[in-house]
Amino acid sequence: MDLKQIYKYGSPPQYFKLSLKSENWFLIPGIFLMIIGCVGGLFIAPPDYQMGDAFRIIYFHVPSAFLSMSAYAYMAGAALIGIVWRSNVAFSVAKSIAPFGASFTFLALVTGMLWGKPMWGTVWVWDARLTSEFILLLLFLGYILLHLSIKEQKKADLAASVLALTGVINLPIIHYSVVWWNTLHQASTISKLSSSSITGDMLWPLLVMIFGYGFFFWGVICRVVASEILKREKRSKWVEQYIKELR
Amino acid sequence: MRIYPQLFLRDLKVSMKRWSDFLTGMIMFILVAFIFPLIAGSDQDFMHRIIGPVMLLSSLLASLISMQNIFKPDLINGSLEQLVLSRHSLNGLIFIKILSYWISSSLPLVVVSSLIASAYYVTGIDIIKVMLTVLLSTTTLVNINSLAAALTLGVRYPGALMTLILFPLSLPILIFGSKAIEYSILGLDSSGPFYFLTGMMLLSFSLGPIATAFAIRISID
Repeated sequence: MDLKQIYKYGSPPQYFKLSLKSENWFLIPGIFLMIIGCVGGLFIAPPDYQMGDAFRIIYFHVPSAFLSMSAYAYMAGAALIGIVWRSNVAFSVAKSIAPFGASFTFLALVTGMLWGKPMWGTVWVWDARLTSEFILLLLFLGYILLHLSIKEQKKADLAASVLALTGVINLPIIHYSVVWWNTLHQASTISKLSSSSITGDMLWPLLVMIFGYGFFFWGVICRVVASEILKREKRSKWVEQYIKELR
Repeated sequence: MRIYPQLFLRDLKVSMKRWSDFLTGMIMFILVAFIFPLIAGSDQDFMHRIIGPVMLLSSLLASLISMQNIFKPDLINGSLEQLVLSRHSLNGLIFIKILSYWISSSLPLVVVSSLIASAYYVTGIDIIKVMLTVLLSTTTLVNINSLAAALTLGVRYPGALMTLILFPLSLPILIFGSKAIEYSILGLDSSGPFYFLTGMMLLSFSLGPIATAFAIRISID
């Protein structure tokens, strides 16, 4: 495939068609994988000998935490592409990712709290990963609010993207400075697949859930980006044509 | 190249005229630092334990008070636009602006922090270390401040938004700054946090003006 084909998708109508076409390719496998993961995680996997059944919230906690961080990375990547090529499509991708990233971050925090209550005895501990997750939520909220509060679309896109990129530079620094005070969050469960500290019976639903979340996320993003592009291009010819065809 | 000293002196003169803005920041700094012992108890050990966080937190709050004056007045009277239009590199000009803003807003804090440190029963060389920490952390904070101020130039009521942008980005400085003070007072080796703060200062002074200049270009054109 010619690499220059990618440039084609810089134009809004092309990208709009692509995202509508690929929506179901992400959404259906995503829902399918999530159902499998839920069944596997909630019913098939054996209960943990220490934590009992309470550990099963891991099947929602870990994928959301995973996704919240990768969502920030995707958002920042889109913001970078938008700044470099001044691409409206990239900006709409970044803008549509932000609320979903924020909600997955929120979900990771809430499930972490629910898990922490029976395990640690408190809902919140001042440990590195919880705090960085909270900071991540603040960064997402900053992006969303900055975008909302600047009236002009173009300026809002650029300013919010600068903020997203600053966050990328700063996130590792924040994370490692919070790690400075050592903590009681259990060490990463699946750092490397080969040496993971979780048995295969428990591991496969987790991986399935992570992939399911990822596919589902992109499926939703495809649809949201499509509607965002429609909103931005509402005055152009091709949108008029598209709406006529729908009727 | 004469524009750089000219701009520097001009900014300092302007901030002398607007001294009340910067005085408010300093009052905030002193107020926060003095209210902690009053409401939380004032025995020596406790004071030594909280002086690090208190110093950093009060300089953050002081910078929040004065940060709205970095670019907003210049935007209103049109001189910021002239800087953007000038043939000189905007990055350099912004660097000079940040530097002079630091001198007018944060250098007094560094001086005052020595008094506050002695009020917290800190003695000897540790006072110098407290001052050094405030110096190193405010130089970084000033860059984050100016980026947040530049990003929110187009917003009508930027107060809360600035805070939301500022707090997460300045978290490493707060943590390492208070560690630096804590370790020096406890007599531990505090070179690690100081190296980190210096590194952050260099990083923020090398990237901060560029990002700020970019953000100003966005909000002006």
